[in-house]
Amino acid sequence: MLSTAHRLSPLSDAAIQGRFGAEKGQPGVTLSVRHPVSIVTVMVRKGKAKAFSATLKEACGFNAPAPCQSLSGKRAAIHWCGADQYYVVAAGMAEGTLYRELKESLAGLASCVDQSHGRVIIQIAGPKVRNVLAKGTPVDLHPLVFGPGQCAVTQMAHVGVHLAHVGTDGFELSVFRGFSESFWEWLTEQSEEFGYQIG
Amino acid sequence: MLIKCPHCGTRPVEEFTFLGDADVKRPATTDPSSMDQWFDYVYLRDNPKGRFNEYVHHSGGCRAWLVITRDTQTHEVFGCVTARDWAKKQGAVR
Amino acid sequence: MTAFRLARGGRIDRNTSLGFKFDGKGFSGHAGDTLASALIANGVHLMGRSFKYHRPRGVISAGASEPNALVELREGGRKEANTRATMIELYDGLVANSQNRWPSLDVDFGAINSLASSIFVAGFYYKTFMWPKSFWEKIYEPMIRRAAGLGAAAREPDPDKYEKAYAHCELLVIGSGPAGLMAALTAARSGGRVVLADEGSALGGSLLFENEEIGGLPGHDWAQGVIAELEGMANVTLMPRTTVFGWYDGNVFGAVERVNDHVLAPSPYEPRQRYWRIVAKKAVLAAGAEERPVAFGGNDVPGVMLASAMRHYANRHAAAAGKSVAVFTNNDSGYRTARDMKAQGGHVEVIIDSRKDAKADAAGVPVIRNGVVVNVKGGRGVSGIELADHRHIPCDALAMSGGWSPIVNLACHRGAKPRWDARIAGFVPPDVGGAFTAAGSAAGKMLLSEALSDGATHGTLKGRVPAIPKCRDEAFALTPLWWVKESTGKAFIDYQNDATAKDLPLAAREGYKDIELAKRYTTAGMATDQGKLGNVNAIAILAEATGQTIEQVGTTTFRPYYTPVSFGAFAGPFGGHHFQPVRKTPLHDWADELGAVFVETGLWMRSSWFSQEGEDWLASASREVITTRAGVGICDVSTLGKIDVQGKDAGVFLDRLYCNTFSTLAIGKARYGLMLREDGIVFDDGTTSRLADDQFLMTTTTANAARVMSHMEFCHQALWPDLDVQYVSVTEQWAQMAVAGPLARATLQKIVDGLVLNDETFPYLAAKEISVLGGIPARLFRISFSGEHAYELAVPADYGNMAARAIMQAGDSFGIVPYGVEALSIMRVEKGHVAGSELNGTTTASDLGMAKMMSAKKDYIGRMMAGREGLLDKNRQCVVGIRPVDVSDRLRSGSHLLKKGDPPSMANDQGYVTSVAWSPMLNMWLGMALLANGRERHGEIVKVFDGLRDIHMYAEICDPMHFDRENKRLHA
Repeated sequence: MLSTAHRLSPLSDAAIQGRFGAEKGQPGVTLSVRHPVSIVTVMVRKGKAKAFSATLKEACGFNAPAPCQSLSGKRAAIHWCGADQYYVVAAGMAEGTLYRELKESLAGLASCVDQSHGRVIIQIAGPKVRNVLAKGTPVDLHPLVFGPGQCAVTQMAHVGVHLAHVGTDGFELSVFRGFSESFWEWLTEQSEEFGYQIG
Repeated sequence: MLIKCPHCGTRPVEEFTFLGDADVKRPATTDPSSMDQWFDYVYLRDNPKGRFNEYVHHSGGCRAWLVITRDTQTHEVFGCVTARDWAKKQGAVR
Repeated sequence: MTAFRLARGGRIDRNTSLGFKFDGKGFSGHAGDTLASALIANGVHLMGRSFKYHRPRGVISAGASEPNALVELREGGRKEANTRATMIELYDGLVANSQNRWPSLDVDFGAINSLASSIFVAGFYYKTFMWPKSFWEKIYEPMIRRAAGLGAAAREPDPDKYEKAYAHCELLVIGSGPAGLMAALTAARSGGRVVLADEGSALGGSLLFENEEIGGLPGHDWAQGVIAELEGMANVTLMPRTTVFGWYDGNVFGAVERVNDHVLAPSPYEPRQRYWRIVAKKAVLAAGAEERPVAFGGNDVPGVMLASAMRHYANRHAAAAGKSVAVFTNNDSGYRTARDMKAQGGHVEVIIDSRKDAKADAAGVPVIRNGVVVNVKGGRGVSGIELADHRHIPCDALAMSGGWSPIVNLACHRGAKPRWDARIAGFVPPDVGGAFTAAGSAAGKMLLSEALSDGATHGTLKGRVPAIPKCRDEAFALTPLWWVKESTGKAFIDYQNDATAKDLPLAAREGYKDIELAKRYTTAGMATDQGKLGNVNAIAILAEATGQTIEQVGTTTFRPYYTPVSFGAFAGPFGGHHFQPVRKTPLHDWADELGAVFVETGLWMRSSWFSQEGEDWLASASREVITTRAGVGICDVSTLGKIDVQGKDAGVFLDRLYCNTFSTLAIGKARYGLMLREDGIVFDDGTTSRLADDQFLMTTTTANAARVMSHMEFCHQALWPDLDVQYVSVTEQWAQMAVAGPLARATLQKIVDGLVLNDETFPYLAAKEISVLGGIPARLFRISFSGEHAYELAVPADYGNMAARAIMQAGDSFGIVPYGVEALSIMRVEKGHVAGSELNGTTTASDLGMAKMMSAKKDYIGRMMAGREGLLDKNRQCVVGIRPVDVSDRLRSGSHLLKKGDPPSMANDQGYVTSVAWSPMLNMWLGMALLANGRERHGEIVKVFDGLRDIHMYAEICDPMHFDRENKRLHA
């Protein structure tokens, strides 16, 4: 029987646990790969924004977030990712379940597309996280400007990135799967000067 | 150059792709007598010095097509709206 | 202690000795030295040879403007040519070499140019090397390049890392002298996000070397207090060793931080340099002012230097430029040098002041009023000076001051011209709006008190301007003196380019009166220093020569970069294999295990062929084709663009995007589609399947995937925003593989869950969502690019390798073979399927033989323009098949086609070969071509001409479908 255990992350060979880069005190950042994870792109149908948000609230416990905002509920989180477009992200669900559930509950209100395998989410946190990210994104990530719950669609190292500020000092970087290895290599190199932990 | 995307806020020009003149309008007809309009739409472009409305795509961001009003000489950006809103406004004017 | 190291003072660490080598000779300096100050302290004034005349040259300045003391720093891959000795922080083990001399700095044969200097006047290249024309490339240019040169670039790859980064602030302060510190402090205390950048190794600007008094403290101590306060504030970022080199649209500044240029080698984890883009709400230019030389005879002899540089070396580095110095000035600030040198225990012979009415305090040094220097004695070092009244004064160093030029560069980078300020006889920054203002001496405010209050004013982001500390002002008054015309020796305007004062009137006489022309003709103001020191002198001399005012002459255009920026910094981390991101398919590991050789297709790495022992690429590809056509093969096609299109109007949207119709497509079926550009030319093609009433799955070519997506977004958002349609790329979600060949069905049957594959359940062009391998969701399409009975199977990407391996296992008994894009390409040429070489931006649907696909019942992108007269011309080049008459001949793509018997010429050109392949099925080279009126010419023998390879051969034009013309295999 199929289980998500059969899923193989494209970063399974690259993301090896351990301490890397400069050895000065605590690691500047900690990196990890969120896998396996369920990701569904939800795109609101024309003229259905209100009904969509209400239905979403019922199904997931949150409304549709404003542009550049993320919200999280018990089972899933939702990130704005473009005009009338969102990513719904959840962990610990069986293959295709999140997609089917959303498709059913949002029928006629939104078009849903399973992207669980198409995007790779990298988690990065730590005291130097903003210094590392500033080497890639032109988005101002100063805590006063870009606080928890904010997100952005941007480019880092020539790769399209969905960047979300989760928790107090953590960020999630979601990239196309095919670029993930190349992006990971760049990201870890940028973290070297501060020392980094892969966990 | 910085462009203030109506969705994403201020971003550098590297995140955008330029298409050109946004004051052209695709003819709504396929009547053979409309060929001149079609030629104008496909080929004729103004290249003004000064204020210019142009399509840009936030290809490195939210992927919205936008229309920015820019001074072609100083690169000052006066405004930026979504192409969707621009189309509605254009439709209303004509 | 070295001979010219002062016994006390200076901001050097005398307890730390640093050994370094210059031109192979060992020297010693201290922490806090620059290479220039350490050489001066060692009595070395000769640091280079000039560009044209190979004259001995010493250091002129103590900063970024240095035109003479350019050296090759470091060795091997780390070598950096044309590096200013004044900006190089000394470190232990530093190695530097002088440039532009042969065989050595002391004995330079090129100095013979100096004797022939009459031919090296302005414009000499143009005058001397005009003819014979054929000599230019082979003789003159190499000769000039060897003789007149700067340093040599490194030949080895640079081993160091470089980075890029973004910064954001409410106030960017450029320069950390009194004005800059005051601006930063004011903004920081009010809570603003401040970035303070300075090109120097330490913050403090002029307070690092000038004797000042601020708030009752020595200026340097006051500065240290401010810096300490700024350092402790979370809202402040201090960036020493950071040159802001350019000002760009949107108040974005470019800067380069020299993170590790001051150490022998960077740590493996740290970059050498970091390239910054700083986005500033407001910025203050507090870069200070540059002291100007005066043009007089011998003003380039080593030991002649700017007055401020001489006291900089003495006060900051405890390095004496000479044992007995003289000062030549047209302003009060020159007197500071005499005073400071005396205070440091040096001997000042005399102050020569060109002003008749000089009133400055000379601190007991004799002053010659209304005096000018006409020549400097000495070759490799000053031995004395001659005045206009023939007086000879012995000295071993000469300090000169021609006044001050505010450093306006950045404020002019966006096109505004600086303004002439007669009060200070210098150009001041233009008014470029409130977001970027100048403060202190950069704004022409030459007094310390003005600098402090100006800094506070410009640093006030909100509220009232705070009180400023009290200070003592030094006198600043001058009477312009640009050129001592009575000079008996060469009077240089631009040291780096060996342009003399006389060159400018000459340029004017010869018609180069515009400053931009005079710059290029005389070369004054060109090269790495861009005339930071001498430009204003040049402008003033040209003004006089042309009877204009200095304002009328104006300046040349200021452009980034303020100082040279290394290529490494521009490239940042994006060199080598990081030049562009690598995109791997979900089947990469599977293909790699089977020996795939990968090829870059855009950013994608695609398996090109699967190599086996003893095979070249063609042998591998041929084997893959034969085995696939005989049994079954599997190919990774994940790179094809896949777009999920949904919504009530999805069908309508596709009808408008494609020239054929999709709204009528049945659920569970696939259809080939052709997309045009609005000008009627073919844009892209691919199959689209209908998965549900309101859901389609489009595919695009690999190459156009991103362009098609942008095009769809434009069409939807800008043209038809009323359509209820949603779409997103799912290219990366699916691992997709083509399974082709007579045994493809039997192979797939083994892995599909609960579905019997036959022509009823799964006919040609069926497209269904199924599951495989006991529950993996999958999509199966019966489509074929190879011409075989074929399928494409897609599974979620994380299962890709697993599914591909399972298919290999399922097909094992059938002899299944993996095939790459080479085999794919052979099979498509055998079948005459068009691809990128035919969809090349010049062809119409009709040219490709697909005119019938264009619907007449609807509007779609490209419909109207496809009907243009020129695009319907019967003589247009259209797709044909081509095969050599002599089957042993090899066709080459790109070859031109001619009528049999016609000589090759543009007029006779009939078309060209677009694609070729060796067909292992037909045992010959086959091709596709675009040929004028080609459809009417099947059977004609044409001449194939390849001018590049000098190939002439004959070939027969035929139907593009070379193999299995009845398409029997598709349904086998």
